[in-house]
Amino acid sequence: METFVIGLSIASILFMVALGLAIIYGTMNVINLAHGEMVMIGAYTTVLATKHLGFNIYLCLPLAFLVTATFGLIIERTVVRRLYGRLLDTLLATWGIALILQQLIRIHFGLGLFGIEIDGLGSDLQNVPVPAELQQAIRVFGANIPVYRAFVFVAALALGAISWLLIFKTRFGSQLRAVSVARNTAAACGINDKRVNMLAFAYGSGLAGIAGVLVSGFKTVSPDMGTPYVVDAFLVVVAGGVGHLLGTMASAGILGEVQSFVATWANDVYGRTVLFTVVILILLFKPQGLFVTKSR
Amino acid sequence: MLKFKDLNVFYGTSHIIHDLNLEIRKGEVFCIMGRNGVGKTTLLRSLLGITVQTKGAIEFEGTEISRDLTYERARRGIGYVPQGREIVPGLSVLDNILLGCNARTDRQMSVPPLVWTLFPFLKDHLNRRGTNLSGGQQQQLAIARALATDPSILVLDEPTEGIQPNIVEHIEKAIISLNRDHGLTIILVEQKIRFARTAAHRFAILEKGQVAAAGETADLSNELIHKHMSL
Repeated sequence: METFVIGLSIASILFMVALGLAIIYGTMNVINLAHGEMVMIGAYTTVLATKHLGFNIYLCLPLAFLVTATFGLIIERTVVRRLYGRLLDTLLATWGIALILQQLIRIHFGLGLFGIEIDGLGSDLQNVPVPAELQQAIRVFGANIPVYRAFVFVAALALGAISWLLIFKTRFGSQLRAVSVARNTAAACGINDKRVNMLAFAYGSGLAGIAGVLVSGFKTVSPDMGTPYVVDAFLVVVAGGVGHLLGTMASAGILGEVQSFVATWANDVYGRTVLFTVVILILLFKPQGLFVTKSR
Repeated sequence: MLKFKDLNVFYGTSHIIHDLNLEIRKGEVFCIMGRNGVGKTTLLRSLLGITVQTKGAIEFEGTEISRDLTYERARRGIGYVPQGREIVPGLSVLDNILLGCNARTDRQMSVPPLVWTLFPFLKDHLNRRGTNLSGGQQQQLAIARALATDPSILVLDEPTEGIQPNIVEHIEKAIISLNRDHGLTIILVEQKIRFARTAAHRFAILEKGQVAAAGETADLSNELIHKHMSL
């Protein structure tokens, strides 16, 4: 049971990161290799806000969303927008952005050169204080369930629901869906596709930022912490079926639980190995992912 | 109402339209004809600003629009029914129609009553997925979506291509009604001579990206058709 809940929390983080990545990839055909750095920026926003502003983790959630969404918006407007339709170039450019962002954190945004250091940044590992009520455990069916892990799961469910409402029940959502599958037709219907791209990039980045806040509660924060997430999230998107919210959720659930159970049974290395094997098997037997949108 | 002035259109290094000059008058149906690959669809895509590079001018209602983005042209009042319909998968019939409302300057998200008058069938299938309709029904949906943009000119690219005959007749009647009863200016790319003669006031036949022949529909002789359109 405990392993299952830990798996759920891993799946929740994967889902939040993957959802943002899927929205960006689905809308713009851009594989954003700087997406993991949005997780990292979300985590550092939490570190800085708790140290300097006295924020708790709850307040950090909307703050990190705003900060990382702003980063995403700037990246889209300044770099990615100029590279649409050039997949390899966007891969390289976003990878470059990822490296720059990591180094910026390490050198205190360049202020380190002038002897100015910001407490919370740099190469040191950082930890985020978790509120007392989230540090406890509850007993469910005889098992000790960490409250924080359950909180992460609930937060992911809430974000999934909000994203579903945004995508399927709002005017922006139908614009987003139209741009992602029929860009020219959407533009010919009067939809400003560049604005939709920009907002989708910002929203996707914001989701990763929220994941960063939640990760910081059980993982050490460091400048390169985001890198593994972009790989795992991309696996979730591909295995779930590109452009399918439910597929992303199911895929994150399966991969998170597989990793958790195997890591508990053996170790993390086996966990990763089995995870990759499962993804390969899914792609062998369901090349378009677990869920495919059918159309006539 | 619409003028193409010395228009040249390119796809990468391919030069598709050469120094084309055309004028479409308010209230008419103008038919663009020609064999496959002469640049008919490219001309329409250049009017909408879709993935082509152009030189020369496109003047719409007195304003030069060739630098405008596609969505800006749609908001100026150019409604577009693309070849192949391009119904958005995953969206219902209603949501597909409402997409067109994004071009409206009044920001109103409602289906114009004219759509229900022309295509009452759609009203009974609002919650079905647009891509689950038959080809002919999808074409009606694509026209409905373009009408929802509240256009002052409607651009249709082969609207009856590959559609079952009973629906073709309905679509042809709807297009003629839009012009005759509702005064909508229409540009029609069409291969069917019979429909072109029935619907259009004037025509232009393209050949190798240039206007090979043009005039009133009464001048669309069998000789011209044989010369410029037979295989």
